[in-house]
Amino acid sequence: MRKLSTALTFTVVGVIVAVLCILLSFAAGIRVSLRASGSSLNVLVLKTGATAESTSIIMPEEANRLIQTPGIAQDDAGQKLISQELCAQTSIPRRGPDGNPANVAVRGVDDTAFQLHSEVKIIEGRRYEPGALEVIVGKQARDRYQGLEIGGQVLLGRAANRSFTVVGVFDAEGGAFESEIWGSRPTIMDSYNRRFISSAILRLADPAQGEAAIKYLKGSAVRLNAKLETDYYEDLSSKTQQIVALTSILIGIMAIGAIFAVANTMYASVDSRRREIAMLRTIGFTRTSIVTSFLLESLLICILACATGVAAGSLVNGSRQDFLSDSTWTVLAYELRLTPDVVLTALGVAMAVGLIGGLAPALKASRIGIIEALRKA
Amino acid sequence: MRTLLTCAAVALPIIIYVLTTAVVDGFNSFLDNSAKQLRLAVTQKTSITNPLPEGHRRKIETLDPTRKRLIAVCGLRYIGGQRDDDPTPLSTLAVDADTFAECFPEHHLTAEEIDAWNKDRQALMVGRGTARDMNWKVGDRVTILPSLPPYEKMEFHIVSTLENAADFVTNWCRRDYLESEMKRLQAPEGQVTFFFVKCASKTDLDYYRMEIDKLFAGSLDETKAQDEKTFMNEFITQQFDLPRNLAILAAMTVFVAIMAAANTMSMNFRDRINEIATLKSLGFGSWFTFALIQTESLMLCSLGGLIGALGPYIAFTHTPLRNLTVPLIQTIEIVPFTCVKAMIIALGIGILAALWPSWLAIRMHVVTALREVG
Repeated sequence: MRKLSTALTFTVVGVIVAVLCILLSFAAGIRVSLRASGSSLNVLVLKTGATAESTSIIMPEEANRLIQTPGIAQDDAGQKLISQELCAQTSIPRRGPDGNPANVAVRGVDDTAFQLHSEVKIIEGRRYEPGALEVIVGKQARDRYQGLEIGGQVLLGRAANRSFTVVGVFDAEGGAFESEIWGSRPTIMDSYNRRFISSAILRLADPAQGEAAIKYLKGSAVRLNAKLETDYYEDLSSKTQQIVALTSILIGIMAIGAIFAVANTMYASVDSRRREIAMLRTIGFTRTSIVTSFLLESLLICILACATGVAAGSLVNGSRQDFLSDSTWTVLAYELRLTPDVVLTALGVAMAVGLIGGLAPALKASRIGIIEALRKA
Repeated sequence: MRTLLTCAAVALPIIIYVLTTAVVDGFNSFLDNSAKQLRLAVTQKTSITNPLPEGHRRKIETLDPTRKRLIAVCGLRYIGGQRDDDPTPLSTLAVDADTFAECFPEHHLTAEEIDAWNKDRQALMVGRGTARDMNWKVGDRVTILPSLPPYEKMEFHIVSTLENAADFVTNWCRRDYLESEMKRLQAPEGQVTFFFVKCASKTDLDYYRMEIDKLFAGSLDETKAQDEKTFMNEFITQQFDLPRNLAILAAMTVFVAIMAAANTMSMNFRDRINEIATLKSLGFGSWFTFALIQTESLMLCSLGGLIGALGPYIAFTHTPLRNLTVPLIQTIEIVPFTCVKAMIIALGIGILAALWPSWLAIRMHVVTALREVG
């Protein structure tokens, strides 16, 4: 019967750890994706008041003022490294039987963008030809949405009536760009009938000049909003903090339940071993040794259950999901990530459950009256 | 001690069950309410973020000049925004002033509120939850910085705090005022994020859903008309598909509760083998011992269920938690029916948890039982 009790407690802790791992893997996947995006050498410029590229409108005359920004790096030809980008969206069905449409970001860029976003590398096919109705797609977008494999056709533009051919797939070191479709800026602007850009990225010659550049951009000369590109993506990942908060509350409540289950099992364990405990005490084992031995038993159950829970949680590791950001109104495709942090958190929760749940029964064991226990034996 | 632990081990998962069910029910109720409004949401075909020309409204209205089947068309433009001195994001929509009240009757606007709205181009109707959070009241002049064009501060006069509206988060301002600000600041004018089209019946809803898309087929700004429930559901499912995932979580917590309760009941049985043996030797039948164990389990779990169901119910109806605002579903409303469901589940947990120990009690042979006593 005690084996059954241990097995049930093992299951409770294992299930809780598995749920914890899955919930935290969601948050970790999004966070990893957004943190991998952007560079601290880049300053991202948006319209003042806009919170995301998709809601920002920078008119050409405003964009022209960016060239005077201090501390901007130059390329070999002496051109300032400024990438003007247009963010548009299109609706593409997801892969799978449902085929629900997703709002996928379409980014119009110039060649400079590939210097500033150096993490973007073509891994299949080739780059689009400027002027041609061709695009390249991020590898997450290719895997998640229909028709984005090389040679596939995707309808873009204000009326979704221009058929673009996918000619390449790119990797962005796991960053948010991998959820996007990229094309030549003039072609994308023309297709969407846009006469403005959404954002501009400025490469700093020296990271120390970031503050001065941002101050200049926000000042009266330019009057635009600017922040380090890494800060922008960090802000976008704030959604994951809400997930972590919600997860923590739910897991906290479940973990308290698990503590009670562990305590139950350990009380039973103590009750069935009163004689052995009395014997140990008789031959010289201290109360501390008794407490330690029961705590170790409790910990062992929880750690083994944790290993099982993590193994179950790892089954979803790498599976692809996406979510609609309420800042950008575009989907971010990401992989669930069972990161070392997630495993360590799960282990910490399981050990806490084991220690807290086992403590009261262990103390009870250490206080068993030796004479009485031996007499009953 | 074990009784307490068992009650707690059942009560805690039931708390999660009640909360997750309340949120899932909230989403379903929100969607059902959307369906009841008999409205179509008309967006740009390629993406909701691509605007539609405001001129589409007149064209949609030509589909029923009598206004008997197509009651009202209201253009909406999302401007989000925040207060000057507070970074909390606001949900603000600029709407066509003339059709707003007709298109959104669920706001239950009074004649005075409609009059004030019609007279003042800078009128702002504020969700009562937002008004409470921002400490706004009718008559206040407030400044909002939109997070979309025109990106410049706009001053509004609060004419209502929407005391009778179901939605108490969203703020509504007049689109003609937004348009004048757009013009003044040379921002793109004459665009809306979407149209809401109020229909007279479900048949009309289905009819105009297709007619509107047909009307703009082949144009530069093709439309995608959906009934409001489908439109809202698309949002919800794209944001982590919360209703489905919360339902899975609720199921997992019930499973955890069953395991925890089964653990206790098996321990109780183990501790009481002697007593059960004595009862059997005294002539009490197998079904009596079965009923005895089942009753104990049912009592423990119903007590845990009661705590787990009443705790959140009291917390979200009689404490400041009732003011907690949740996107879309507004508040976490725990209805008595959810508590009843939780109680039934707790009783089910009790029965399942005691099945194995009570089965063992039935199978316990009298001779074996007596030997145990000896």
